[in-house]
Amino acid sequence: MGDVALLAAAGEVGGDFFKERDSDSLPCQAQPDHLFCFDWAQENIDRYGTPTLQHFEIVALSLLFGFAVAFALALLAHRNRWLRPPLLAGTGVLYTIPSVAFFFLLLPITGRGRDTAIIVLAAYTLQIIYRNTMVGLANVPDAAKTAARGMGMSERQVLWRIELPLAVPEIVAGLRIASLSTMAIATFAVFIAREGLGTQIYGQGNLTFPTSIIIAAAIVIAMALAIDAILLSVQRLLTPWRRARPA
Amino acid sequence: MSAFQLPLASFGGAIEFIFTPQSSNVTGGEKVGGFDQVVELTLKQLEVTLLALALALVVALPLGLYLGHKGKGELLLVGLANAGRAIPELALIALVAAVIGVGLLNLTPALAVLGIPPILTNAFVGVRQVDQATIDAARGMGMSELEIIRKVELPLALPTLMGGVRLAMIAIVATATIAPLAGVESLGDFILNESVYGSDGVLAGAILIALLALALEGALALLQRRLTSDGLKLKTS
Amino acid sequence: MSERPQASPVRYEEATKRYGKAAEPAVDRLTLEVPAGEICVLVGPSGCGKTTAMKMVNRTVEISSGDVLIGGASVRDRSPAQLRREIGYVIQQVGLFPHRTVSENIGTVPQLLGWEKERTSARAEELLALIGLDPELGDRYPAQLSGGQQQRVGVARALAADPLVMLMDEPFGAIDPINRERLQNEFLRLQAEIRKTVLFVTHDIDEAIKMGDRIAVMREGGRLEQYATPAELLMAPATEFVEDFVGADRALKRLALIRVRDIDLWEAPLAFVGQATAEVRAKLAAPDVEVPYPLLVDGERRPLGWLSERDLTAEIVPREPDSPLGPVLELEDVMRDALADLLQGQSQYAAVVDGEGRIAGVLSVEIISELLGSPGAKSEERPATERPHG
Repeated sequence: MGDVALLAAAGEVGGDFFKERDSDSLPCQAQPDHLFCFDWAQENIDRYGTPTLQHFEIVALSLLFGFAVAFALALLAHRNRWLRPPLLAGTGVLYTIPSVAFFFLLLPITGRGRDTAIIVLAAYTLQIIYRNTMVGLANVPDAAKTAARGMGMSERQVLWRIELPLAVPEIVAGLRIASLSTMAIATFAVFIAREGLGTQIYGQGNLTFPTSIIIAAAIVIAMALAIDAILLSVQRLLTPWRRARPA
Repeated sequence: MSAFQLPLASFGGAIEFIFTPQSSNVTGGEKVGGFDQVVELTLKQLEVTLLALALALVVALPLGLYLGHKGKGELLLVGLANAGRAIPELALIALVAAVIGVGLLNLTPALAVLGIPPILTNAFVGVRQVDQATIDAARGMGMSELEIIRKVELPLALPTLMGGVRLAMIAIVATATIAPLAGVESLGDFILNESVYGSDGVLAGAILIALLALALEGALALLQRRLTSDGLKLKTS
Repeated sequence: MSERPQASPVRYEEATKRYGKAAEPAVDRLTLEVPAGEICVLVGPSGCGKTTAMKMVNRTVEISSGDVLIGGASVRDRSPAQLRREIGYVIQQVGLFPHRTVSENIGTVPQLLGWEKERTSARAEELLALIGLDPELGDRYPAQLSGGQQQRVGVARALAADPLVMLMDEPFGAIDPINRERLQNEFLRLQAEIRKTVLFVTHDIDEAIKMGDRIAVMREGGRLEQYATPAELLMAPATEFVEDFVGADRALKRLALIRVRDIDLWEAPLAFVGQATAEVRAKLAAPDVEVPYPLLVDGERRPLGWLSERDLTAEIVPREPDSPLGPVLELEDVMRDALADLLQGQSQYAAVVDGEGRIAGVLSVEIISELLGSPGAKSEERPATERPHG
């Protein structure tokens, strides 16, 4: 009970949350030791609609921006070696800073709301996408590039027709990892914007109850797996030569 | 004020918060902020972070090295790394707080769970990448299996392994930021309680957490450089 | 071939390549001319500049001073990319594009030049047949092909747009000796049909002698030591370096270049079964007889054996000769193999027969050594595509 008092004092959890704890005549969701209330879940499943949509939108936009920026940076670094150490370090710093803290670092500049969340989440994906793109480009066999140039392709043609197609597996691998992390971290958006599935876990300054948390988490994980599977299929589609069996 | 001046003023206020106790609206006269409180909460966050990291290492490192040595469980471990990334940290903390209980003893294992996948997978991959020829030679020289793991595979797997440790650390320290939700004090206190600490406090908290994370990452990077043998460094440069 | 094959001569005029502040140039005032439709092999030890010299033609290496002309036009007249689309380029590691099918690989340059799709795929099919690969392989990916097949696709890819010149940089260097010989022979057969101007780089003098119509021997510092046909190179090395490089067995190497039918053979007096030995003895006594032993032949003039003194004491020529026939050579045999057979058979003379087994002449070790010593052997020089190969 000492911990509870601490929580109450710090304003984490509303005081009356604990008063109701002792009563047994309460509905399932008000009893914390009931892990999952199926009835409540069935009745209230609708309320997850909007947060799920918001969550998905935030993730999709973050991935889009993150990919666009990281890809552009990788193309720059591909041509200009001197950019590589600073870019690697820079994207690394953005990855290291915890998202929640990052939200509030941007607060004075971009204020509360979805945009701040998207900026931070996009920044978080930069390192993995940038690094994987660089690795993918580095793994292109030298002989193929030499032959391509010797046959009369311009540098740009070599990049877009030979190097990038062969780097697709690594790039998509990076994108998959980024999408998993972003999906999970987007729950933190609740701290800076009243959006996303985080709202069903931590609403209005209080933690919600187990059933709600579990449902929200399940939706997040399900979406993550779905995106992962989709990206994997996209990769398979784009790289038919990897499936070919050696004669 | 212009678009630039407002943020600058906020940062100024935050810096002040870090060093000098401020008066607060909520606590009725008691001051908040200041260097002492900052240090106290920093140490608290450090405490839970390092404990969780240590626990994760104790569980994941031996297992990862062993599985890598034996070569078993590749499919599972690769999937595990990705699955670990998909865990919504907020939900994890909330569930632990609501179901298991609050406090350091309950939170630390939960945080360790976040750190286990990257360490486990990277230990496994790091060991698998060791040249089979080297291991055969070691075996041929009469090393026991345990000695091989300790003297050959571990040093050679170190860069990859440390990469996993750093990933674990980042995940843990980020989640430790919301440890207050589960009854463990940390720098996240400043962020989660604007009413108590004010917007200056919130910003100060954000800055401090970012610096803490960067400092820890830097420390691990240095440690990695120290522990990596010179021969390996030559190879990767 | 769907179009008349085209090939241009290549000329180096004092072409030089200098890297930075290096004391010696990589290629030093190279001057030579490769006639259209011929294979010129650049050969020499590592670091002699042979690859650099070849790369000057498609400007993979830029010329420091001097010029390289293709069909009279300087390679500097056009942009490198445009130039290279008219030059076939084959490298040692092949460099097939893993993400494109064999047909797509072959169609790379046609696609760059803007050919229509049907024309490109028709051309790819044509080339697959030309290099001896199943047209079905067109839809496979390089990873599904063996090393030898990949090499051949590499050659087909270089030929796709009917280039004026072909550059080949140690193309068979990474292949095992057996397959290398096969690929060399196939390429020579191909060249007999398409007659491209080829610049071929190798460090292997035997390959140079086999493949080259002309050989350019280079040494460290990018200097041309000698530019000559293989026979000239073997018979008259211009400098000590060339002599060392060609090897102490250059005489034997020359023998690999000609066939038995390329030289004048001796004649032995022929004896038929049942013929009067007096006639035979008369032939033997003739002043201009080249071989002092009569050769027993049947009604079809097929050799049966050699007659000895004892055989000739009888009235008529016996059916069974005293001495066995020994080694029998054919007109098509490579001279080097013929010498080996002669020496192994421990006989001084060997009967040479034509395609039907009929006597065409007699070969002896003496003839061979005369051949090696005579400058007149130059006149038997054949282009690489007609020289003995597999």
